Amino acid sequence: MPDGSRSAENSSSHGADASPVRYQGVTKRYPGADSDAVHDLDLEIPSGEICVLVGPSGCGKTTAMRMVNRTVEMTSGDILIGDRSVKDGDAAILRREIGYVIQQIGLFPHRTIGQNIATVPKLLNWDKNRTDDRVTKLLDLTGLDPEFADRYPSQLSGGQQQRVGVARALAVDPPVMLMDEPFGAIDPISRGRLQNEFLRLQADIKKTILFVTHDVDEAIKMGDRIAVMKKGGEVAQFATPTELLMEPADDFVEDFVGADRALKRLALMRVRDVDLWNAPSTQAGRRSDDVLNELKTSEVPYAVLVDGENRPLGWLSTRDLDAETVPVHPDSTGVPMIDADTTLRDGLAQLLAGGSLYGTVVDGRGRLTGVLSVEIISDFLASKEAAEVAIPAVDRPHDD
Amino acid sequence: MIDFVQIAAVDPDFFKDRSGGGCIQDNNLFCPGWVVDNYDRYVDPTLQHLVLVLSAVGIGFAIAFSLAILAHRRRWLASPFLAATGVLYTIPSISFFFLLLPLTGRGTTTAIIALTAFTLQIIFRNVLTGLRNVPVEVTEAARGIGYTPKQMLWRVEIPLAMPEIVAGLRIATVSTVALATLAVFANGGGLGGEIISGSNLTFKTGIIVAGSIAVVMAILFDALILLLGRLLTPWKRAAAL
Amino acid sequence: MTAFASAPVAAFGLFGDAFNFVFSGREAATGGVQVGGPDAVFDLAVKQVEVTLLALGVAILLALPVGLILGHRGRGEFVAVTAGNAGRAIPELALIALMATAVGVGLFNLVVALAILGIPPILTNTFVGIRQVDRSSVEAAKGMGMSNREIITKVELPLAIPTIMGGVRTASINIIATATIAPLAGVLTLGDLIISRNVYGDAGVLAGAVLVALLALSLELALSGIQWALTSKGLKLQRA
Repeated sequence: MPDGSRSAENSSSHGADASPVRYQGVTKRYPGADSDAVHDLDLEIPSGEICVLVGPSGCGKTTAMRMVNRTVEMTSGDILIGDRSVKDGDAAILRREIGYVIQQIGLFPHRTIGQNIATVPKLLNWDKNRTDDRVTKLLDLTGLDPEFADRYPSQLSGGQQQRVGVARALAVDPPVMLMDEPFGAIDPISRGRLQNEFLRLQADIKKTILFVTHDVDEAIKMGDRIAVMKKGGEVAQFATPTELLMEPADDFVEDFVGADRALKRLALMRVRDVDLWNAPSTQAGRRSDDVLNELKTSEVPYAVLVDGENRPLGWLSTRDLDAETVPVHPDSTGVPMIDADTTLRDGLAQLLAGGSLYGTVVDGRGRLTGVLSVEIISDFLASKEAAEVAIPAVDRPHDD
Repeated sequence: MIDFVQIAAVDPDFFKDRSGGGCIQDNNLFCPGWVVDNYDRYVDPTLQHLVLVLSAVGIGFAIAFSLAILAHRRRWLASPFLAATGVLYTIPSISFFFLLLPLTGRGTTTAIIALTAFTLQIIFRNVLTGLRNVPVEVTEAARGIGYTPKQMLWRVEIPLAMPEIVAGLRIATVSTVALATLAVFANGGGLGGEIISGSNLTFKTGIIVAGSIAVVMAILFDALILLLGRLLTPWKRAAAL
Repeated sequence: MTAFASAPVAAFGLFGDAFNFVFSGREAATGGVQVGGPDAVFDLAVKQVEVTLLALGVAILLALPVGLILGHRGRGEFVAVTAGNAGRAIPELALIALMATAVGVGLFNLVVALAILGIPPILTNTFVGIRQVDRSSVEAAKGMGMSNREIITKVELPLAIPTIMGGVRTASINIIATATIAPLAGVLTLGDLIISRNVYGDAGVLAGAVLVALLALSLELALSGIQWALTSKGLKLQRA
C-alpha cells in the first residue's frame, strides 16, 4: 500500500512531503451557464496518494482540479490543503506551492531546460547554488541526462519534454501536485513507459496528486483512488480501482468502466506478479547443440539471443541453430519487449500489437527475466484469482 | 517647368570651386570626381536623416508597443487601434507634412510626427500578432506555476513575441529610411535635400549619391536589427540545429 | 508663415482658405492668373488616380503571375522575399528624380517607376500567401485530379486572397503616395498643389494635402471592399 498514513501534521509549507486535500461542498458555475460545472463536491484525498478524477468530457473533472490552484475560481464551498484554505492570500503565491503539469506540457520555449525547471525557485528568490543543486537533482530524479540542462525544449522529444514538465512541477518540492492529462499527448508506447516511471517516482516522493484523465485504463493504472465523475459535476463513485471494477456503484459507472471489466482486471496485475515462462537464453558464438537440447524441454519453442548483459536481442528458431555456433543476428528482432512493471493488460496489448504469442520480459535495466505468453494471460483470466478482490490491486511498483 | 536635360543651377554656388570637370557640366549619369571632392557635404544631411529615422522609429515603437500591450489585455481595443493606426499609415507622408502645417509649421518636428505616424501600424500589428501567437499552453502553464500577470507579460509573452516584434521593427525602420527622403518638403532636412536642392532635381550624380546613402543606411539598419533579434532569441538558433 | 504661429486658432482659418481654394479658386501667389477652383483641382485628382491605377495594374499584372507560379512550385523563396525587403529600401524621391533626369519625363516613365515600387509587396505577399495555403488542401486537389492550373486558380489563389490583397494594398499606398511627387517628373497630379507652393500659396498646399489624404484613404477603403468581396465566405467564417 502507498504510505497514506502520513499524518496531517504536514502543513502546506514548502518542503513538506505531502498534505491532504479536502473539497468541502465545492460548486462552480460559469457565468452565463444554466447549470453547475461542478456541483457540491466533497472529496478527501489522503496525503501521499494519487487521486484520479475520471469521466466523460464535460463532466467537470478539469474544473474540479483547477479550483485547487485557483486557475478556476470556485463559486462556493472551500478547498483545504492541509488545514489551510486555498482562498487565503494571493493566487499567484498559492500556485507556487502546488506542482502543475498539463497535457500540452507548456515548457517555455525561450528558456533552457535548466531555466524551465528553475522557474519557481527563481520566483521564490532561491539563491543560485540551491537552485542549481535542485535542478541537477530533479534531472536525475526524472531520468534525464544532466547535460540537457543547457538545451532548449525544441531539442527534446515529446517524452523527454514531459519529464521536464514533471521536474518543473516538482522544483520546490510542493506538497500537492495537479496533473491534467499529463500523458495525453504522448504516443501509446512511450505513454506506458512514462506512466511506469512516474509510479516509480511517486513511490519515492509520495506527493498528494490530483490526476485528471478521460481514460479509464489510465485511471485504473495510476490511481490509489478514483473519483468517477458524471455530467453535472457530481461524483458517481469514489473508490479504489479494485472496488470500482468489482462493484460499480451504478449503471453509469458500470457503463463508463466498460463491458470488458474482466479484461480490465488485467490492469490490476503486473507482469512481474505472474509466473512467467522460461526460454533458453544464449549468446552469439555458443554451441548450437546445447541450445537445441534445452529447447526440447522448454515451455517456449524458441530460444532468446541475449547480449553480454543478459539483454534480449531477438528470437532464435531451431532453423537458426543449424550452424555449429549460435549466429550473431537473431531471426526476428521485432520481439515485443515487455517491462516487468507493465500491467498484464498492457503486456497483452504489446503481444497482440507484435502479432506474437511470446514476448520477452525485462526488468528496469533491460535484463531478461522471463517470457510472457498469451497462454499465461488466458490461464490467469480463467483462474479464480482473477475474479477475486484479493489481488494486489494498489500495489505500486517497487523502486528498483 | 523644370528643364531636366541641363543642370538648372538654382543655387549658383552649388558647383563653385568643386572640381569634376566636364562630367558634371555634361551631367553624366555618375561622376566619381564629384564624390571625391564633395563627400563632406553629405555628412550633415546623413546625420539629419539618422536623427529623423531614429526619432520616428523610437517614438513610434514606444507608442505602438504600449498600444499593442493594451490591446492584448483588452481585446476590444484592438479593432479601434488597428483602424486608427491604419488611417495614419494610409495618409501619404508628404500629405501629412502639410496637414500639420497649421499646427506645427514646417521643420524637423513636423517631419518626425508624420514619419512616426507612418510607423505605428507596422509595429502595432507585429507586436500584437507576436503576443497573440504565444502558445496558450505556455501561458496556461505560466499562470498555473504562479506568475503574476505582469511577470507573465515581461518574462514569457514579450520574449516569445520577440521574433515578430523584431520583424516589425525591421520593416518600419527600413521603410522610414526611404520615406525620410521626403522630409525635405517639410523643411525637415535629411538626404532628400541633396536630391532636390542646389540642382533642383536635375543633377544625376547628386541624386545617385544621396539615394545610395539612404539605401545603404536602410541595409545597415536592417542588418543591425536582424543581429539584435538573433541575440535576443537564442532559442531560435538552438531549434534550427 | 507667421500666420501659422498662432495655431490652432488660425488653423481653422487656413482650412477655410483651403476650402475656398478648392471650390472657388484664387489668384496665384505670383499674381495675375486665377488658380484652383473645382475644375482645375478635379483634373489634377483624376490624373493622380489615373497614374496610380495604371501603375498598380502594371504591378499586379507582372507580380501576381510570377508570385503564383513561384509559390505553387515552392521555388524562388529567396528572390520573392528579398524583393520585398529591397523594395522597402528604395527611396521614393530618388527613384522619381532619377527616372525623370536619367530616363526622361512623361506618363510612361512615371508609371514604370511607380510600378517598380508596387511590384515587391505584391510579389512577396503572393508568394507567402500561396505557401501558407494548407498543404492538405492542395494534396486533396491533386488527388481529385486537378491540373496545376486548376490547383492554382481554384484552390491556392482563393485561399491566398487575404494575404495577396494585403500586398496589393501596401503597393497602392506606396504608389499613390509617390504619385503625389509626380509633378517632379513632369506629370501634374494633386501633388502639384503641394510642391508648387510659390504658385498656389498655403491655401493651395493645404488643399492639396487634404485631397491627397482623402484620395489615399478612399483607395484603401475601396481595396478593402474588393478584398472582402473576393474572399470566400468559408474563409471569413473561419476567421470570425
